[in-house]
Order: sequence, then C-alpha cells, then structure tokens
Amino acid sequence: MKEVKLFLGPQHPGMHGNSSIHMYVDGDIIKRSYLLPGMLHRGFEKSMERRTWMNNIALIPRICVPEPDPNEMVFALNAEALASVEVPERAHWIRMLVLELARLSAHLMAFGGIGGPTGLYTAMYWAQADRDSILTLFEEITGQRVYHMYITIGGVRKDLPKGIEKKILAFVDDLESRLPDYENLVLNNPSVQARTKDQIMLPAEVVWELGVTGIGMRSSTGKAYDLRKVTPYARYDKVEFDVPTATYSDAHTRLTLKYLEMYQIIRIIRQILDLMPAGKVREKALDGSALRWQVPAGQVYSAVEASRGEYGYYTVSTGGTMPYRVAVRGASFPQATLGIEKYLPGHRIDDAALWFDTMGICSPEIDR
Amino acid sequence: MSKINMQLKELTENVGKSYSVLQVDYPTPNQAALDFQPGDVHAVLAYLKGQGFRQMSLLSCVDWIEDGQFQLVYLLFNWEAGLRLQVRTRIDRANPVFTTVTGIYPGAKYYERDVHEFFGVEFNGNPDSSKPLFLENWDDMPPMRKDFDPQAYSDRKYKAREYKTDFNTKAGEGQ
Repeated sequence: MKEVKLFLGPQHPGMHGNSSIHMYVDGDIIKRSYLLPGMLHRGFEKSMERRTWMNNIALIPRICVPEPDPNEMVFALNAEALASVEVPERAHWIRMLVLELARLSAHLMAFGGIGGPTGLYTAMYWAQADRDSILTLFEEITGQRVYHMYITIGGVRKDLPKGIEKKILAFVDDLESRLPDYENLVLNNPSVQARTKDQIMLPAEVVWELGVTGIGMRSSTGKAYDLRKVTPYARYDKVEFDVPTATYSDAHTRLTLKYLEMYQIIRIIRQILDLMPAGKVREKALDGSALRWQVPAGQVYSAVEASRGEYGYYTVSTGGTMPYRVAVRGASFPQATLGIEKYLPGHRIDDAALWFDTMGICSPEIDR
Repeated sequence: MSKINMQLKELTENVGKSYSVLQVDYPTPNQAALDFQPGDVHAVLAYLKGQGFRQMSLLSCVDWIEDGQFQLVYLLFNWEAGLRLQVRTRIDRANPVFTTVTGIYPGAKYYERDVHEFFGVEFNGNPDSSKPLFLENWDDMPPMRKDFDPQAYSDRKYKAREYKTDFNTKAGEGQ
C-alpha cells in the first residue's frame, strides 16, 4: 500500500500541547515519524538575557504551563549557587511544599489526561476538578493560580497565609480517600487496560540511549533514579518517601507509577506541614535594589525532579544585572524528539497519542 | 558552601592524568566544570561514559562574542553517584565547526540540531544537524548569537501597525 502523510495535532483531543507529529503511515502502521516542534517557541532563552535577574522570575514560570514551579526553583538555585546565598530554613520547606503541590497537580493532569487518547473523558474531568482545588490553594499561597512567581532568589516571596495548613491537609485527606476511585476508573478499566497493557514499551536500553528521565526511567530500570533521592535539594533528605519503580515498562506500568507517586506526594506534604519550622522565609540575597542585583560571574547547572523528570537550567553570569545566558533542559526533550523519530514507528496511528501521553511529553518545555 | 564531594575530586584528578584539563571549577559540591581543547572532547566523553556518566542531560552553547568564541557545554550526569560534570570547550566563532558526539551519546542528535539552529554551529557527522527544527522560514543569522537584535529583526520583518479607529469612546457615546 502507498505511504500516506498524516499530521497528529496540534488540534487533536489526544495531543498534549501545541506540537504536531508528522507521520508517514502504511495502512494504520506508522512507518516514519517526526516531531514538528516550534509552535510554542517564544524565545524564552533570548528574552531571559534581556531581563534582570529579578524580572526573570515573572517570565520563566511560563515555560511550562502545567508545572511552572520547577522553573522558578532551578533559576533560584543557580543564582544562589553563584552568589553563595544561604536560604532560610523555613523557605526550604515552603519551596518543597509548593513543588510537591505542583507535582500533584501535574500528575493529576497527566493521569487524568489519559482520558483523551482512550476516550475516557470522565477521568479527565475528575482530575481537572481536583487540580482546580490545588490551584485554589496556590491562589491563597501565592496570589496566582497558574504561574506563581513565588520561589525567588533567597527564599520565597512571602510567608504562607494563616490557616493554609488546615486547608492543604483537608484537601490531601479528601484526595487520598478518593484515589482508589481513580484506580478503579482508570487502571482497572478493561478498555484502558486493553490499550495500555503490553503496549508502548520503553526498554531500559532505550532509556539510556535517549536520556529519558523521570517515570519513564524508573519504570524500566527498576532503580530509584529520582533527583530528590540522588542529589537531594531543599530538604528532601529530611522527609521519608518511597520511589515507586518497575522493571517492565509498558504504558500501564508508567500510569501505575504515576498513580503510586501521588500517594508519596501526599505523604511528603503531610511531613512538610508537620516538620516545617517557623522563621524567616527570605534572605536579602544581594545588595541594593532587587532591580539592580548583580550576580557574581560563573557557570552552573541545577536540576530538580519535575513530574516528567530532570528539569534543569544552565545559567551563565558575567557579573551583570542580567544573566548572560540561560539554557533550559526540558524534561521531556529526549523522548519527544529522538524518541518519536526512532521509537514511534511500528506503532499504530491510534497509539501515537497514547505514546505521547504516557511518555510524559510537554510541548512548551521543548520549544521554550 | 559545604565540602566538595571526594569522589568527584578524585574523578577530576583521574581525568587530569590522561587528558590535559585547561581549568577545573566546582560550582556546587556535586558538580565540576572541566575545560578541554576541542580535540580532546570526544575521548573525554567516551572515557566519562565508561565511568558511570551514562546520561547527557544537555548540550548547550554560550556565545562569548568578545573573545570571538563559542563555548560548547556538555552536561553529564552519573545517576549512581549523583555527580554532575560540565565538559566544556571553546571553538572559533568565525568558523563554528565541531564533530558530532552522537556516536557516544545518541541522545545528542537533537541537542546538536538545537545548537545549530540557534547558534549556527555545524556538527560534522550529524546528518540532520542543518535541518530546521523550531524556527520556520528563518532568514536571519542564528537568533541566540549575541549580535542578533530581536527588535531590529522585528522592525524589518513586520510593518508597524497603524491604528485608524479611535477605540477610546468618548463619554456618553458608547456602542
């Protein structure tokens, strides 16, 4: 049969974000495929070179829509490493709280998002509703729902509002009591199982070849390759949590790990609220007005474990009021680019969206 | 700053025995930055991959326009030991050509395309390195170079919009 050229996305219920997969299909089997990125390319890296260190905090969360906080965190970590700033103890814990809430909301979005390519829209509605509760918590903590601009150089912007601990606990208690419903709805659902079990494999060799991190890496290597464990930042070495792993990575395994991680996030959040000390939340990072900060010269890379894997910034400073260069390592860059070129072919057309979803691909962090 | 990781120190010393390291820097306790001559990079990367640095997290480029050089930065990570390395080299800005590292780290393929598109560095041996990736119909110099001015590009490329309608309705007029 003749090869036919097809585009999956950007307008497709199963596509996550504004990118497209260019496929050459024979029947319903994909023969060749390429990612067509760039639809969300907004020149972040260039823009960052033209803004002060402080102004950048308002720009960078926009790089990743579902989970913006790792951006602020790695940017702050880099500037703090260059300027040798010690962050107050309480700020570390608040940062962890914000990062875990962000991870929970991103996991909910991705776990429920499986409803798109499988036609199970109920999962999406449930997850979005729960995510919205987290956004409401964020609104109380930071003043913003989606882009928080909260973690900043030297700590966090302001202290937690009074009584937020109770609301967070009430929310995680409620969510935890309903997580088994999610399991029944998605993981135990025969129609989802038929689409995901033994489908869309990710062997460990491919993980190493591409440089896949996050759940993809942990689901096939069986090791706790989580930056929170391997190189603990903030105070992740002071809280107890398990990293779910597996050695057989099909789409269902990766979904299951995402589901299991939600329990661990809730466990971490409870410990944070329990252990968080009182005190200052922000150190005056550098002398003078925040708009005239000069960060000492140097080149440093920092990464945190985002919901999709290693998320990092490489920052170069020449001692000026603006960064000289910032390079963004999007967590899903390897699997979305080389992964789609090499490992999507051979799958069926209807699995392409599922492939995209369960590999944890987020378009804006690829385009930047 | 806390003490530099001993294992990392040992590793950089070992690298220094076999290859000529131009400069060593420790930006964080678990991270070392090593500068090499362009010709040494591939051998060093192959050696480090054998030492547990199985992941290349990022390949990036910095435009040192005043020195007339591009700096290529390979960020490696060792998941077992939690160590990070910046392997850096500087190439001539006027003739930015380097050899691909996809033979060592296959995942570098698209990072090289990214660096080619935004800085104009040619990677010999990467068949796709000069294909466009993010930018559609780009007709100017690679945009991440320091001498590229986005404002001038925008002014040249797009006509300034003329507003003919007065959108500020006067009081009492309404729609």
